[in-house]
Amino acid sequence: MESLRDIRQNIKAIRSTQQIMQTMKMISSARIRKAQESMDNARPFAKKMLEMVADLKQEVLALPQEVDGKESWASRLFVNQTGNPNKMGLIVITGDKGLCGSFNAVILRAAIAFLKENQDKEISVFCVGKKGKDFINRIRHKNINIVYDSVGVFPKVQYVHAELLGEAIMKEFFGKNLSSVTLLYNDFKSMGSQRLAQYKILPFTLDEEIKEKDDHEFLFEPDVKEIFKILVPRLIKANMFRVLLESQAANLAATMNAMDAASKNAGELADALGVKLNKVRQAGITDEILDIVNGAEALNG
Amino acid sequence: MIMPKTLKLNLITPQKQLLADLEVQSVVLPAFQGELGVLPGHIPMMVQLGFGSLRYKKDGQEEEFAVLGGFAEILHESVNVFAESAGLAGEIDEEEEKQKIKRAKESLSKKDADIDFELAEIEIKQALTRMKVKKHRLG
Repeated sequence: MESLRDIRQNIKAIRSTQQIMQTMKMISSARIRKAQESMDNARPFAKKMLEMVADLKQEVLALPQEVDGKESWASRLFVNQTGNPNKMGLIVITGDKGLCGSFNAVILRAAIAFLKENQDKEISVFCVGKKGKDFINRIRHKNINIVYDSVGVFPKVQYVHAELLGEAIMKEFFGKNLSSVTLLYNDFKSMGSQRLAQYKILPFTLDEEIKEKDDHEFLFEPDVKEIFKILVPRLIKANMFRVLLESQAANLAATMNAMDAASKNAGELADALGVKLNKVRQAGITDEILDIVNGAEALNG
Repeated sequence: MIMPKTLKLNLITPQKQLLADLEVQSVVLPAFQGELGVLPGHIPMMVQLGFGSLRYKKDGQEEEFAVLGGFAEILHESVNVFAESAGLAGEIDEEEEKQKIKRAKESLSKKDADIDFELAEIEIKQALTRMKVKKHRLG
C-alpha cells in the first residue's frame, strides 16, 4: 500500500500542474480577444479583394493566353492546368508549440495524406510554425523541399509576415513553374471548434459563368498588366494575412480548450487521490485503535 | 441607366476597414499619375494609387485621409479603396512623423551595408505625405 507521504506528494504535484495549466488557459483567453479582433478587422480586405477579382473576371479572361509563344503571366495565374504538372506547392500552417489538443495533428495528418497522394511529384513546402517545419524536416524525402519557413510568428502576426510568405509563394510559383499551390490551415469557426481547411490558392479559380451585373468594362490606369502586377501579389498577401490570423486565433482557442480540459482532469485526479488519502489515513487510525484495544484487553485478561 | 446620387465609399487596409459603405457625394483619389476626382456614375475603372490624400464630401462636409499606396476599384455606385496604409488626417501626429523622418535619415546617413535604403526612403516619403496631408487640412 502507498504511504500517506507518497499520496500527499502526488496530490501536491498534480495541483501544481493544474495551476500551470490554468494559467496557460488564462493567457490564451486573454490573447484570444485581441487575436479575434485583428482577425475580424482583416477579413473585409481579403473578402473585398476577392469580390473585386470576380468583378474583373471578364478582363482577366480576355487577356492573351500566350505571349511570344509562351504562356502568359495572366494565364499562369488564372487558368488551371498550366505549369509543370510534376511540381506542386504546399503551405502548411501549424502552431509553434504543442499543448493545444489536435490542432497540429490534424494539419500534419492532412499534410501526410497530400504528400502520399502526390508521392511522385516534386513538392515545395512553405512552413509557418515550428511543428510543421520539424515534421516536414523529419520526412527527408528527395522530392520534398522546404523552400520557406517562418517560426515564432504566433501569437503576434503582423502584415509583414504575410508579405514575406506571399513573396516566397509568388517567387516559387513562377520560378519553379509550379502547377498549383495548396494551403493547409485551421479555420477559426468558434471558440469551441476549429476546422481543417484545405484549398488551392493558386491558380485562382474563377467561375466561368458571367452574371448580368458583370457587363461593365473597366478602364485601367496605368494599363491592365501593370495593375495586375501589383494586384495579384497583394491579393495573395491579403489572403495569407487573413489565414495567418485565422490560424492564430484558432491556435489560441485550441490551447484554451485543451488546457481547460486538462486542468479539469487534473482536478478530478487530485480529488480522487484525496479520497484515497483519507481512506489510507482512516485505515491507519483504525489499526492503531485496534492495537490499543487489543493491548488493553490483554492487560485485563 | 439611372445615375446614382451617391457613392458608397469603402476604405480598407490589410489591418482594418476604415470606412464601410459610407454614402458620399464625391471622392478625390491620390492616383499614381495625379489626383482623380470621382462622382457617382463614374465609368468602372481600376487605378493604382500613389502616396497622397484621399478626400471625400459627405453632406457638404469634407474629410481627408492620408493614403499610402495601393489601388482603387471604381464602379458606378461604389468606390473600393485598397490602401497599403491609411490614416485620418486629423489623427496624424506631426511630431511622431518628424521623429520617423529623423530616424530614417539617420539610418540612411550611417552607410551601413545592412540598411535597406529603399525601405528608409519609403518611410521618409510616407511620413512626408502624412505631414503634407495634415498641413493641407489645417491650412
